[in-house]
Amino acid sequence: MTPILSVKDLAISFGSNHVLRSINFDLYENEVLGVVGPNGAGKTVMLDILTGVLKNTAGTITFMGQEISKKSIYERVRMGIGRTFQIPKSFEGMTAYENIITGGVYGAGMSEKAAAAQAEEILDIIGMNEHALTFAGKLGLLDRKRLEIGVAMASKPKVILFDEVAGGLTESEIAGVLEIVAKMRKLGYSIIWIEHVIQTMLKGTDRVLCMANGVDVICGEPAMVMSSREVEEVYLGVKKK
Amino acid sequence: MKNNHSSLRAQSKTASLIKLIVAAVILIVLIVMPFVGGAYIRNILILIFLYMAVSQMWNLLAGYTGLVSLGMQAFIGLAGYVLALTTQQYGKPIWLAFILAAVIAVVFALIISLPIFKMKGVYFTIGTWIIAEALYVFFANWAFVKYSIGYNITVAYRMNLNTFYYLCLVIGIVSIAVVLFILRSKTGLALMAMRDNEDAAEVRGVRLYRTKLMCFLIASVVTAIAGVALYLNLAYIRPTNAFSIEWTVSMVFIVIIGGIGTIEGPIIGAIIYVLLSQILYNFAGYSNLILGIIAVILIMVAPKGIMGYLEERFAWDIFGIRRRIKPKS
Ligand SMILES: Nc1ncnc2c1ncn2[C@@H]1O[C@H](COP(=O)(O)OP(=O)(O)O)[C@@H](O)[C@H]1O
Ligand SMILES: [Mg+2]
Repeated sequence: MTPILSVKDLAISFGSNHVLRSINFDLYENEVLGVVGPNGAGKTVMLDILTGVLKNTAGTITFMGQEISKKSIYERVRMGIGRTFQIPKSFEGMTAYENIITGGVYGAGMSEKAAAAQAEEILDIIGMNEHALTFAGKLGLLDRKRLEIGVAMASKPKVILFDEVAGGLTESEIAGVLEIVAKMRKLGYSIIWIEHVIQTMLKGTDRVLCMANGVDVICGEPAMVMSSREVEEVYLGVKKK
Repeated sequence: MKNNHSSLRAQSKTASLIKLIVAAVILIVLIVMPFVGGAYIRNILILIFLYMAVSQMWNLLAGYTGLVSLGMQAFIGLAGYVLALTTQQYGKPIWLAFILAAVIAVVFALIISLPIFKMKGVYFTIGTWIIAEALYVFFANWAFVKYSIGYNITVAYRMNLNTFYYLCLVIGIVSIAVVLFILRSKTGLALMAMRDNEDAAEVRGVRLYRTKLMCFLIASVVTAIAGVALYLNLAYIRPTNAFSIEWTVSMVFIVIIGGIGTIEGPIIGAIIYVLLSQILYNFAGYSNLILGIIAVILIMVAPKGIMGYLEERFAWDIFGIRRRIKPKS
């Protein structure tokens, strides 16, 4: 089976700060790939590169058979790469409903009418019906995180990138996020999920990738990776610093 | 949950009926005003309509697309000169000046967009200002437009002032209608998204460049049309007043105190600005200082301006730009 997204030797530097040196992984269709790594490992930077916000200085990104490193942000979202932001970037002066409609109209090129119908379905999936007409700026953290997922889904992505969607949530709220991910899995999405919460990685993913010092350290079955010596060293190494 | 939405919709039906009645009453009052209010009130209203129109455009740019221009006087000045040349130099009718001003504005906007759209943030702001200043220098040294002597626009003395009043009313209404049309269309979603978070809007698929350019062109055309009317009202033009930054400074004042990023803001702001300017007329030297102090105090009390404050507080949606959920049948 060919992967839907394949990243080879991905690298980026900011001046002398070589944040990513060589990142390699494949994501298969309808797979949830967890990503862990210490703070500052470059996980968010990697998502910025995949969505075109930052440009990789070396390496290739093959999405559905096409090399996309040179493509614009707009082209990539239209091709089917959606994302959430670690710090939610909802449109605060718009309602949750309008946020999701905007995702459909601009991310998927839908008519406003079609995007509105889709938004109602998405509100169901993310469990935000009762907050549909609340301004995003007035939502609590959990709802903002859910809205991020909803807006990303609205652009009809094939691959969706989660940047710590469970970060800062309580245990029961995290369970809710896991439910949403389970639903999305049934709907056929392929997901890359960055998260620090170990429980989500164990329960919600098919494989886990650990990155540190700019490289992919280990990748494999979640329980194996999370209890591996490599991951332990990566996190202990950081703590020692 | 769905009930919640349908009640909101039911509410909005009565609300829209009330709005329609209020709008009709306001319109009727404005239509009969020249006959009952006298020349002074007529002139105040003319100023309110025109300042509101150009402020709607400045707000469209600064409030939604993040294009903070300090050079909108370029379009007002060009429009004023088009009027002077068309009517004084060539003896052609006023309506031709309106058309020419609109065409020249859009061409000029397209040309300057090439350099200034490469500039971000404050560089764009300074860039627009420099262009307006360059126009001032150019016109002040241009024999064809009589250097800094300028023109008396005598056609203004001969026009029917009631007709002029209605023309300005239409310009004001059109400026609102243009913004309203844009905000209610698909593009409105992009503009509101850009207003709230430009980077996120781009990641969601909004094409920033073309959206900004479109708004810039629309703003320059409407500003130029209002500019022709402003110079019909002023009845003389010189490079110093034509390309004065004071035009844009008043737009900034109006939009900031009224509420940036709202349609209602420029309306409230223009009313306050024009009335205040009348009161401050006798303090010529200090009027800008006093306006500035008022703006600063207001920003400290209500950072989002009067309408921004009221809208947030009471969830107002006077012009109906919010998207509503239709109950499932
Ligand atoms: N736009 C940028 N310019 C310069 N350095 C950046 C930029 N974005 C991120 N970095 C740096 O890249 C490193 C990785 O950051 P990040 O991807 O946010 O880590 P994390 O794995 O915690 O998400 C940090 O050292 C950060 O300072
Ligand atoms: Mg991060």
